[in-house]
Amino acid sequence: MAGHDHGSQHQFTGFAKYFNSYTIIGRRNYVLATYGSILALVLFFKLKPKKMPVTEK
Amino acid sequence: MMVNSFSQFESPVFLTIPLIQLALILPWAFYPSPSPRWLSNRTLTLQNWFIGRFAKQLLASSTPKVHLWATLLVSLMLYIISLNLLGMLPYTFTPTTQLSMNMGLAVPLWLATVLVGFRNQPTLSLAHLLPEGTPTLLVPVLIIIETISLLIRRFALGVRLTANLTAGHLLIQLIATATLAFMSIMPANATLTSILLLLLTLLEIAVAMIQAYVFVLLLSLYLQENS
Repeated sequence: MAGHDHGSQHQFTGFAKYFNSYTIIGRRNYVLATYGSILALVLFFKLKPKKMPVTEK
Repeated sequence: MMVNSFSQFESPVFLTIPLIQLALILPWAFYPSPSPRWLSNRTLTLQNWFIGRFAKQLLASSTPKVHLWATLLVSLMLYIISLNLLGMLPYTFTPTTQLSMNMGLAVPLWLATVLVGFRNQPTLSLAHLLPEGTPTLLVPVLIIIETISLLIRRFALGVRLTANLTAGHLLIQLIATATLAFMSIMPANATLTSILLLLLTLLEIAVAMIQAYVFVLLLSLYLQENS
């Protein structure tokens, strides 16, 4: 069952050391990264300048 | 005024005075205050035994931090079970059939479990949003699904109690109406429907107790997850 994973049996290196689905810190970082990405997408589409329609001369 | 099957769930008003407050206060009258004597009477002993038994069963597999919530959880369970069982009496109003009442209980308590978790152990609370061992490709999808699941819990808690109680009361009313209608036309059918009504009433008494227990059990599980 879900318990505190002390990460002693997982020896991750590189990217997996901070982003993995086995350790508590790894799972937390994945969650924060996902929320951050969604927030960035929302902000990007909100703040994107709208194209002005081209007027005929 | 058209009387329909749902008119039994309307909040009762007498001379413009809403009676729901009376219905909400009524369970208090059934629980006497602890006696200053060394040995209590039989009613009090039985109640204390039941409360102690329930508290032990609910909190046996939980951490000591969850035990701090014992008073709230046990009193909530006693309150809901009293309201539900009193509502099984004929011509009584059941406050727990009102969605507003159940959401008023569910939303603040769910929010409290989430805030307690994020305050005491923010890393663990965030980590719970991703199941252990998830494949990399499924990580964003599962995080979104778990977040939605977390946010929906408050509605599920309130609606579960409302729907179970409302459906039960409605069924009892419909089958009782059918029994009365059959009595003059087809007495044999009336006998069958009255047996069905008896069984349904027994089932509804069980559902009334179980739903109160489930409400509190789920809250204790959410709390345990976040502490």
